[in-house]
Amino acid sequence: MGDTILQFENISKSFFGIHALRDVTFSLERGQLLGLIGENGAGKTTLMNILGGVIQADEGTMRMKGVEYRPRNPAEAAKAGVAFIHQELNLFTNLSIADNIFIDRFPRIGALPLINKKAMRSRTRELLSGVELEVSPDTLVERISPGERQLVEIAKALGFGAEIMIFDEPTTSLTARETEQLFKIIEQLRAGGKSIIYISHNLGNVLHLADEIVVVRDGAVAGTGDKSEYTIDKMVSQMVGRDIDQMYPARTAGPSDTVALEVKDLSQSGIVKGISFSLRKGEVAGLFGLMGSGRSELARIIFGLDPFERGSVKVGGAERKRYTPAESIEKKIAFVTENRREEGLLMEAPIFDNIALVAMPDYTRGLMMRFVEKKRIFGAVGDVAESMRIKTASLDRQLAKNLSGGNQQKTVIGKWLLSKPAVFIMDEPTRGIDVGAKYEIYNIINDLAAAGTGILFISSELEELMGGCDRILVMSNGQIQGCFEKGDFDQAKILHAAFKGHKKHGVA
Amino acid sequence: MLAVCLRNTPVILFAAVFVVFGILAPRFFQYQNFENIVKQASYAGIIAVGMTFVLLTAGIDLSVGSNMYLSAVAAGLLIKNYNVPVWVALAVCLLVGLAFGMFNAFAITKLRIIPFVVTLSTLFAGRGLGLMLTKSRPVPFPETIIRIGSSRLFGVVPLPIVIFVCVVICAHVFLRRTQMGRQIYAVGNDIEAAKKAGINTDRVRATAYIVCGLLASLGGFVSVAQLGIVNAGFGEGYEFEAITAAVLGGTSLFGGIGNVFPGTVLGTVLIQMISAGLVFTQVDLYIQPLVEGAIIFFAVLLDSFRNVQLVRISRRHIRVEETA
Amino acid sequence: MSLASSKEGKDVGTRIGQGLGLARRLLLSENFVLYISILYFLGLWIFIPRIASAGNLGNISSNMWPLLTLAIGQMFVLIVGGIDLSQASIMGITSVVGGLVMTSRLDPTLFSKNILWGVIISENGGMLGGSPAAVPVGITAMLIVGVLIGMLNGIAVAKLRMPAFMVTLVSMMFFSGLAIYLTRSENIINLPRIYTAIGQEAFWRVPYSFFVAVALAAAAHIVLSRTLVGRWFYAVGQNVRASVISGVPAARVTIYAYIFSGFCAAVGSVLYSARLEAGRPTLGQNLLLDIIGAVVIGGISLYGGKGKVLWAVFGVLFFTLLSNSLNMLDLSFYTVDIVKGSIILLAALIDVVRTRLLAKGGAA
Repeated sequence: MGDTILQFENISKSFFGIHALRDVTFSLERGQLLGLIGENGAGKTTLMNILGGVIQADEGTMRMKGVEYRPRNPAEAAKAGVAFIHQELNLFTNLSIADNIFIDRFPRIGALPLINKKAMRSRTRELLSGVELEVSPDTLVERISPGERQLVEIAKALGFGAEIMIFDEPTTSLTARETEQLFKIIEQLRAGGKSIIYISHNLGNVLHLADEIVVVRDGAVAGTGDKSEYTIDKMVSQMVGRDIDQMYPARTAGPSDTVALEVKDLSQSGIVKGISFSLRKGEVAGLFGLMGSGRSELARIIFGLDPFERGSVKVGGAERKRYTPAESIEKKIAFVTENRREEGLLMEAPIFDNIALVAMPDYTRGLMMRFVEKKRIFGAVGDVAESMRIKTASLDRQLAKNLSGGNQQKTVIGKWLLSKPAVFIMDEPTRGIDVGAKYEIYNIINDLAAAGTGILFISSELEELMGGCDRILVMSNGQIQGCFEKGDFDQAKILHAAFKGHKKHGVA
Repeated sequence: MLAVCLRNTPVILFAAVFVVFGILAPRFFQYQNFENIVKQASYAGIIAVGMTFVLLTAGIDLSVGSNMYLSAVAAGLLIKNYNVPVWVALAVCLLVGLAFGMFNAFAITKLRIIPFVVTLSTLFAGRGLGLMLTKSRPVPFPETIIRIGSSRLFGVVPLPIVIFVCVVICAHVFLRRTQMGRQIYAVGNDIEAAKKAGINTDRVRATAYIVCGLLASLGGFVSVAQLGIVNAGFGEGYEFEAITAAVLGGTSLFGGIGNVFPGTVLGTVLIQMISAGLVFTQVDLYIQPLVEGAIIFFAVLLDSFRNVQLVRISRRHIRVEETA
Repeated sequence: MSLASSKEGKDVGTRIGQGLGLARRLLLSENFVLYISILYFLGLWIFIPRIASAGNLGNISSNMWPLLTLAIGQMFVLIVGGIDLSQASIMGITSVVGGLVMTSRLDPTLFSKNILWGVIISENGGMLGGSPAAVPVGITAMLIVGVLIGMLNGIAVAKLRMPAFMVTLVSMMFFSGLAIYLTRSENIINLPRIYTAIGQEAFWRVPYSFFVAVALAAAAHIVLSRTLVGRWFYAVGQNVRASVISGVPAARVTIYAYIFSGFCAAVGSVLYSARLEAGRPTLGQNLLLDIIGAVVIGGISLYGGKGKVLWAVFGVLFFTLLSNSLNMLDLSFYTVDIVKGSIILLAALIDVVRTRLLAKGGAA
């Protein structure tokens, strides 16, 4: 335990009269890792943006090494030694690693404005070896994996004298191996005297890494303490402000015997091989696997977005002819993709337009031109929004891009609900969503199952699958490596199956 | 292998057109022909290089044609009415081009109006201004300038080509070897990330438009030096030609991808080669634009095909074991 | 996202916008361009009473309706996130096709070298020269050609995944080249009276072109605001991937937009060439920038996903009014261009200001 390197004193910030942060006070010691947790919208990002110079606090002071610290822009924060490793990496895919690292401070040849490539390359190699990344400095960033890109960001931060590093959701796009490597680097950073603020929804990781934990709720500090004082339950209850005795709501009904979806021997070279399973009505089947095991690819193939070479998919007993998204929807299959912003939502459109998108053809009449029955569909959309508890002032004015992650995801799910699907494929439906909203989504899944929908629940969080599924299928390397029934859920065994055949470097 | 082919489409396309025309009209392969093609391509290439800068930042400059016209007119009128020496005329020409580019840059970065709209307006206004100055009449250029257009360096290389080569070298070095050059690529790739990385994106984009304006006027001057006269329609439509040349050379309209050499150079020469080739193979004058259009269509089609394939090849690939 | 502002605006907008009160309310209204047009017209009336004369109003009107048909077509393409640079050349080629069918007499000295001489055209005119079926068949042929070219554009963009800018640019080059080739740059005159009446005559003082344009605008409005495919246009323009996953037939929708744009260009061609009494290969050559200018002023986003027929109407209204007034002021045509350019810039700037104000004050 060394000296205090960073202090937040009574930091407050408001946007349009709404308090985003209220009197936030805590401190960070040198060489310490502080886990900053809280629901989405609790104020973590705002706080870090203030630290990183992106915005300024309204009240309060920050002190670095005892001296007042008030950066007016990211450049000043960087100069002061603060490095912000964002969730969305700020790398340029069309440039090399070296170019990326030196993008605003290229070494020159003497007095000429020309770049000294040799010096740049050797310095880059040094930095890369510091994070144990053995790739040539001239490699284009688009060719390296997300995990490697993150290491490049870390290398860049280190190269410029960062003393305080902020990690915002660093593991979302990483494979298991890359996560291991990241943690190792983080250890090295701590040993080297760097101070770290680690933000993540993966409470297990936070508990594992942190020395100190700070819980933020509704813009204020809801609790702080040493790691030893915390358990996951305590973290959750402080984040949410009430006791959650159960993370996962109880199921009200079990699966029926009718088969809703039957996949037989589905194969596409290099992607999936020999996939066979059945999904019953009212069943929640989990699909677990590490990043890169082929789960999302499988979902896309079943839904008709990507082609396959062999095998078949039967819905409700009937074999499919054309495998396209439109046909899948006709056959009552729904698909919530893993990236709602790019593939799930019309960000610039209001909630209404989004929820109405899939089912709209069902609300039309007319022969040549299909006229939309506005009243009927508005009523239907309103019902869905209400049933999902999407909190909004106005369904047809509130744009999707201004919603919280939880509400956005509910909008996507609502869109599919309106089409009354028989089979619902959900890929990482709770990713990037806070605990409260997660609970609501688990409820929605339960209700769907109780109503007879067959659900394929894809996730990398084993706990949530174990908490809510009737069955868990495990995929690894494009194949199904195991299937576990509810009574036999065993974390170790499932993980073992997930690692089976898992190559040293995960993805190609 | 396929990836290599796909990444070098401009070169392959160039070679293909070259060979085809050569077969259809063996006279195509004569040196004099090449010299003419490259000489013709020089002024267009200079402008296309400028356009490449702008396209790299994911922007567009529709005003280069009007810029060419206005700059040439300014120089021409000065010579005609005030008998200024050639180098002064050239300086004025470049200054006008520079000012034109600076205005575009200002409206885009400070007034925050999108490039398409800004350069569309300056396209209108610039040409109008030029026409106003000339009262729509052509402006002839004196012997001295025309001699520049036809003179040769060391008696061997035509001056227009020399100027083109110099521009290409400078531009290439600038884009590859200076901080601003690399930042241009960064801004074109992801402007938000660029801002977060501390890059002054306004300055970067402004630079691109200013360079484009300057090169447009230089290209105009080189063209006028060969034509000897500036007509009311001078430069009309050149923005499209410059954009096509850059795109054929591999520059993406979405920014961040492309280069001056070999890319834009090949693109420009390719277009001129097609025109020349059509003349050589004695294609009906009225059919030429049709064939040109078809070839360019095909080239852009190849480029789109390449993009789709490259995406597919580099997509997440999971190796499935062949055992069991 | 706003039409003209790049993704973040700065204090220029706030500074100007502050303290404008009523002007501010006007500014933020959706019908802003309409109000400006009315104000402008009234202002001009004070200085140039002539502007409200029947003759001049007729002038404004005869320019406005054809431009409107084109702008509506362009709007559809812009909504799906593309652009159609070939509208002008579609006008040219359809104008030529119509002329070749309908003309009653062709001068041999001008046309004898033409490739079609002796085949479909001759001294006695075009394919159906002199026949009563000439006009209906001619117009139908024009519309079909417009639709076909639009379809080609759409297929290239939607199925072959080529960038819209380049595809329609090439189309523009190709079809205007084709038009010139077919006529060897000559205009086709001697068109039937019935045809030219469409562009020139009126029904109870209201020009026929008005009816055409309004019918088209009404149809477009109904499609965009009330039908399924209308919703799909917007969805595709906003997020193609999400649309596809949600079952929207994105490729088909895109193609429809381009077909409609081609169709509108053909309709505009009928109106223009009827008025000019000639089939011109270069018809519409200078119109492309007018179309884009009108659309920009109207507030339709060049990024896609946004746009209303009414906005196109207001934009065309203002633009036509502007052109007309500049001509009335006896300004030379180049000054007109300078002013046009500045107005487009100004309109864009105002849009930037509006977006900033709406974003700040909009949290109501």
